[in-house]
Amino acid sequence: MQSWRRRKSLWLILSASWLLLVLLGGFSLLRLALPSRPRPGAPQGWPRWLDAELLQSFSQAGELPEDAASPQAPHGGSCNWGACFDTSKCRGDGLKVFVYPASGPISETHHRILASIEGSRFHTFSPAGACLLLLLSLDAQTGECSSMPLQWNRGRNHLVLRLHPAPCPKTFQLGQAMVAEASPTVDSFRPGFDVALPFLPEAHPLRGGAPGQLQQHSPQPGITLLALEEERGGWRTADTGSSACPWDARCEQDPGPGQTQRGETLPNATFCLISGHRPEAASRFLQALQVLAALQEMSPARVLALRQQTQFLWDAYFSSVEKVIHTTLEVIQDRIFGTSAHPSLLWNSPPGALLALSTFSTSPQDFPFYHLQQGSRPEGRFSALIWVGPPGQPPLKLIQAVAGSQHCAQILVLWSNERPLPSSWPETAMPLTVIDGHRKVSDRFFPYSTIRTDAILSLDARSSLSTSEVDFAFVVWQSFPERMVGFLTSSHFWDEAHGGWGYTAERTNEFSMVLTTAAFYHRYYHTLFTHSLPKALRTLADEAPTCVDVLMNFLVAAVTKLPPIKVPYGKQRQEAAPLASGGPGPRSKPQAAAPDCVNQIAAAFGHMPLLSSRLRLDPVLFKDPVSVQRKKYRSLEKP
Amino acid sequence: MFTLPQKDFSAPTTCLGPACMQDLGSSHGDDLEGECSRKLDQKLPELPGVGDSAMFSPDTSYLSSRGRMIKWFWDSAEEGYRTYHMDEYDENKNPSGIINLGVSENKLCFDLLSWRLSQSDMQRVEPSLLQYADWRGHLFLREEVAKFLSFYCKSPAPLRPENECEKEAVCVIMCASVKYNIRGPALIPRMKTKHRIYYITLFSIVLLGLIATGMFQFWPHSIESSNDWNVEKRSVRDVPVVRLPADSPIPERGDLSCRMHTCFDVYRCGFNPKNKIKVYIYALKKYVDDFGVPVSNTISREYNELLTAISDSDYYTDDINRACLFVPSIDVLNQNTLRIKETAQALAQLSRWDRGTNHLLFNMLPGGPPDYNTALDVPRDRALLAGGGFSTWTYRQGYDVSIPVYSPLSAEVDLPEKGPGPRRYFLISSQVGLHPEYREDLEALQVKHGESVLVLDKCTNLSEGGLSIRKRCHKHQVFDYPQVLQEATFCVVLRGARLGQAILSDVLQAGCVPVVIADSYILPFSEVLDWKRASVVVPEEKMSDVYSILQSIPQRQIEEMQRQARWFWEAYFQSIKAIALATLQIINDRIYPYAAISYEEWNDPPAVKWGSVSNPLFLPLIPPQSQGFTAIVLTYDRVESLFRVITEVSKVPSLSKLLVVWNNQNKNPPEDSLWPKIRVPLKVVRTAENKLSNRFFPYDEIETEAVLAIDDDIIMLTSDELQFGYEVWREFPDRLVGYPGRLHLWDHEMNKWKYESEWTNEVSMVLTGAAFYHKYFNYLYTYKMPGDIKNWVDAHMNCEDIAMNFLVANVTGKAVIKVTPRKKFKCPECTAIDGLSLDQTHMVERSECINKFASVFGTMPLKVVEHRADPVLYKDDFPEKLKSFPNIGSL
Repeated sequence: MQSWRRRKSLWLILSASWLLLVLLGGFSLLRLALPSRPRPGAPQGWPRWLDAELLQSFSQAGELPEDAASPQAPHGGSCNWGACFDTSKCRGDGLKVFVYPASGPISETHHRILASIEGSRFHTFSPAGACLLLLLSLDAQTGECSSMPLQWNRGRNHLVLRLHPAPCPKTFQLGQAMVAEASPTVDSFRPGFDVALPFLPEAHPLRGGAPGQLQQHSPQPGITLLALEEERGGWRTADTGSSACPWDARCEQDPGPGQTQRGETLPNATFCLISGHRPEAASRFLQALQVLAALQEMSPARVLALRQQTQFLWDAYFSSVEKVIHTTLEVIQDRIFGTSAHPSLLWNSPPGALLALSTFSTSPQDFPFYHLQQGSRPEGRFSALIWVGPPGQPPLKLIQAVAGSQHCAQILVLWSNERPLPSSWPETAMPLTVIDGHRKVSDRFFPYSTIRTDAILSLDARSSLSTSEVDFAFVVWQSFPERMVGFLTSSHFWDEAHGGWGYTAERTNEFSMVLTTAAFYHRYYHTLFTHSLPKALRTLADEAPTCVDVLMNFLVAAVTKLPPIKVPYGKQRQEAAPLASGGPGPRSKPQAAAPDCVNQIAAAFGHMPLLSSRLRLDPVLFKDPVSVQRKKYRSLEKP
Repeated sequence: MFTLPQKDFSAPTTCLGPACMQDLGSSHGDDLEGECSRKLDQKLPELPGVGDSAMFSPDTSYLSSRGRMIKWFWDSAEEGYRTYHMDEYDENKNPSGIINLGVSENKLCFDLLSWRLSQSDMQRVEPSLLQYADWRGHLFLREEVAKFLSFYCKSPAPLRPENECEKEAVCVIMCASVKYNIRGPALIPRMKTKHRIYYITLFSIVLLGLIATGMFQFWPHSIESSNDWNVEKRSVRDVPVVRLPADSPIPERGDLSCRMHTCFDVYRCGFNPKNKIKVYIYALKKYVDDFGVPVSNTISREYNELLTAISDSDYYTDDINRACLFVPSIDVLNQNTLRIKETAQALAQLSRWDRGTNHLLFNMLPGGPPDYNTALDVPRDRALLAGGGFSTWTYRQGYDVSIPVYSPLSAEVDLPEKGPGPRRYFLISSQVGLHPEYREDLEALQVKHGESVLVLDKCTNLSEGGLSIRKRCHKHQVFDYPQVLQEATFCVVLRGARLGQAILSDVLQAGCVPVVIADSYILPFSEVLDWKRASVVVPEEKMSDVYSILQSIPQRQIEEMQRQARWFWEAYFQSIKAIALATLQIINDRIYPYAAISYEEWNDPPAVKWGSVSNPLFLPLIPPQSQGFTAIVLTYDRVESLFRVITEVSKVPSLSKLLVVWNNQNKNPPEDSLWPKIRVPLKVVRTAENKLSNRFFPYDEIETEAVLAIDDDIIMLTSDELQFGYEVWREFPDRLVGYPGRLHLWDHEMNKWKYESEWTNEVSMVLTGAAFYHKYFNYLYTYKMPGDIKNWVDAHMNCEDIAMNFLVANVTGKAVIKVTPRKKFKCPECTAIDGLSLDQTHMVERSECINKFASVFGTMPLKVVEHRADPVLYKDDFPEKLKSFPNIGSL
């Protein structure tokens, strides 16, 4: 019975297969049997010619190399970099910029621009020594147009900065001068020569600037997808619910759903549609719906990347007048540098080209920021840099402890006090170099060429550390090469009572700074400290030595936008610590000076870059109830 | 009556309650994860082992042990079949009604076969059996087949064995059916041998027919093209001739102000979900003027290759109405081979010309003597030009495409890649026909810098001929070209009469860094390629300084440039096809900018692409605390434990929502009133299938970025610990932040990865039984998990946490963060059943997961670190009541 049933189903399958065969095979056979005609609908690619092999080459043999030669200077109405800019003037000190003094009253923006150039490392007061002469083309408001400057020389090596889209009537020919302006037109813009600027509103801050408003990486679920800019600063939102128009069929619908928001506030939307033209609103709304259809197709990964990139670009290049102007100069400097310009990666990923100096290196691996993108790892060695301040005792015990670390590559002693250099130093396996400093605190962060490793362990002669503390901290630093990894911490806070920033080195549940009297960081920060900080800040640090810690922490936080990292530190010494008495130490006198320098430095930065952290990184088995023998960093646990 | 295994399924291998982890004394498996308890708990629908004697019905006591086994299988198969028929339409009420076909016989056959194969006479095989005398198979076999088919298929004439079995398929089918005869009782019913032969024959023929039909269906091109080869295919000389009257219209000259938004009709490209433009190629015609004189050479070899490449690509369409880009088959690669006015007339009469809108022309050698324009002189109105020698004056930024001048040597000469590094010459110039002024400058360099500079010229003493283009001379020394380029670090590419020079391609091929001295030249594909990484551009007036400019480049950068140069050649220069596809991709990227290829994809050599990581959450950002997190509890049916978890988690201040993923389809979640009352919204999601990956699904209900994945038996984490974990996540939002840490190790003895849960000093994974992470990783896990990992995890009901660790480490390139000290797991219900062995199998399984995932990912993405995160004042000598997170690490 059962086998009969099975057999029956098998026969059924067999006959079904037969039927299929007849149907499919029959058609193919029919097709083969019939005389084939070229069918109109059949897919036909480009034919395979019988004599394809015999075809002649597009260039006869010998024609390519035998080009008749007649070099001719390019002639054309406009300029390009090679033809119209003389880089020979910039050979000495790189880009040096001279700004023509303003004649007559100047506007606030104008003033800010001048200030930002004068504060930059590019500025020079001598027009003769400058390789770029900068002319601020005048504000439409003052109604006054600048006359042709003295060193004009047909505009060669000049940059004309135009702030307003409607400039003065041309009083002189621009000639070979580069133009930097907002919204240049395609017709007049010379790619690779002119510079396109963002529009600078009157209220744009000089430096610092508001950080981006992005609070989370991914868009909030259910948020408006697209907002459309309307006249008079309003926004209309087009949501995923709105009917999306197909691309090819032009929409004929009414502007339909979507609310209009009036006012200054930006809409809370994932995308904003900004159109350069100003056609009538209705058709723009339809256009927006078409864009919407395309946006809905976009993968979450791409939306995520775009969101973050806009935020990065804003923070790195747009948020203040200073950033916009420095970016312009940096772009021009890159053209002058040619092969040693910033690689694309440095421009387009955090922290951005203004903070990744191409004078330090053009290889991204040399910076602490790009190890992931480059697939590289931070080096496995560090250099200890020991600063010997006023009392002037050779830090013998400290040298022994540091030299005991398997990761230590060299020890540098920065002798910075009145006493003569000791003649003998302890015997260590490590190469030991003594540098005679200039008695200035900012010397501690000078990019000495003798530092050969990426990682620096910055120490004060009075610090005391054990070898396993050093080892563990260095291993942690390798995971966070762009941050400072320190043992002792302090924090800043907003002091309501005084209406300013406060500073404390008390032990608290969070911290925002690590003391550089014992901290690991990347040697790039020495370059940045010396070459990119305004001179005034370095002078401040020299005058009030307690500020140097704060300044370094500000600098690193401004670059990384992340808090530093704290690692465990033997507590008995922490109590007794003479460690920080030279720096802004706990419960010591200089504490009074510290809040002041926090406020001064914050003012100079234009914002407060410091961020707080609530965690400490400990060894995995730190103080766990297991045998000490299992623990790698057991001496960290000694009471 | 014998009961079904599924129905009878009970205790032995399952775990009762949440408590199969025990063994408090042992150093592992004793903390809070309870990895295995959950796994086993959810593995309910499991088949019992074969040796399970309780499954056998008593009436089989007369059979041998194997017979019993077979009988059991047989009965169970029949049973399923019968049950199915009792209620065949209800798969819910009757889940065990399955048909189990022929397992027993399979097993029997296998036993018999293996027995037979292990006999002593099987040790030796006749040599003749081991080799095919003839590729068409054994003659005797073919004779048999021929006889067989002649007879059974009623062949009109006896088949000849030589012709038989010509198609391997027949043999395969014969073999297959023979094989089925032995092993496939399900397909071949038991019957008399004669019938069986009938049956096999019929079956083979059907199969053969189906395969042959399939071939017709799926390879239509091979068959049809060979078919219409004779009809359609002709020589290029036989294409239709079109006569152009002298007064036929001529297009306007090219419009220099054209841009994509003014001269290109993007609406023609339509909104296309695949984001690919469609390209139509006009049929090849031969154009002649009134006097019958051809307008140009019909088509060059390269242009034919180019059109073939387009036609073979995804861009191609043969439907002129659906196309958005039109490529004329009129060959304008070399302006010198065509008559300008007539070619323009030929363009104008193309059926969809429409002022050249959306038409693309390819030109490599523009201009002609004496002034050599840098763009094609043929009037072309709005047509896009892919040109090989643009200058800044003629190039319409964002509209035209600058392409290389193809070097025919690329195809002729095979230059193997030479590693970067110092080479014999520092700088070489190998162009012939240079302007005397330039040559003087170069020779001056040679005099100044001696051996390291080599300036070559054509060889005057060689006989003229095809080979002379492959030789270069310096004084009386003869060098092979282009091989000599591989001897130099830098190679000069000077402008000639034209800006675009084919030598650029040769130089790149040799891995030599081009030094481009051609003011205003638009480098090929400069819209997307970053030439700073592969070349040095020197202004013409700086030619005398070239040497010092080049010497200032650090060696590391030079090596990078050499690698980059070679990669550019391989990807975009080496063939006409590469050039054509890159051009179309650039235009495609303009039309679908939101789907455009990124800078990295265009410019990074494959080695860099492999090694580098682009973190999807690259922006340094600490999300505001106010956002809070969503806890996702995966549960099967341990309601009591689940409720305790919910109550505990709800005490965490930053919790903003609680999501319970109910993974049990056979049981409804408890009534609303029974759930604990908590201060945040609680939502229950019921799943369609009991799959582990449900825990990582990007539910719409997740509104926060931070997600806490927590098992339904993790009751030992304090509110302080969870809140602190969230704070740590905020500082590391792109990482997995979890409580129990694990490690992977390389087992040198076994030569594979090993899973480790001992007390180690290192961590490379955290268990997702309690871990914070960004919700984006849910999206990645569900939609972007590489290979078959997701299905594998669901099938094995294990290792979803390891998969998540792999995934996150792979996309971010970063290590996990383990928070807070290791915690002893105290489980009140624990009973020690068979703990150790269970634990060991568990470890073996987990190790296997690591090896499997590492092979799918092609690498080991996990990063090992030696740190964990604790609160700043953890275990410090500090008043506890002043600490933010005092309750950490306690039991």
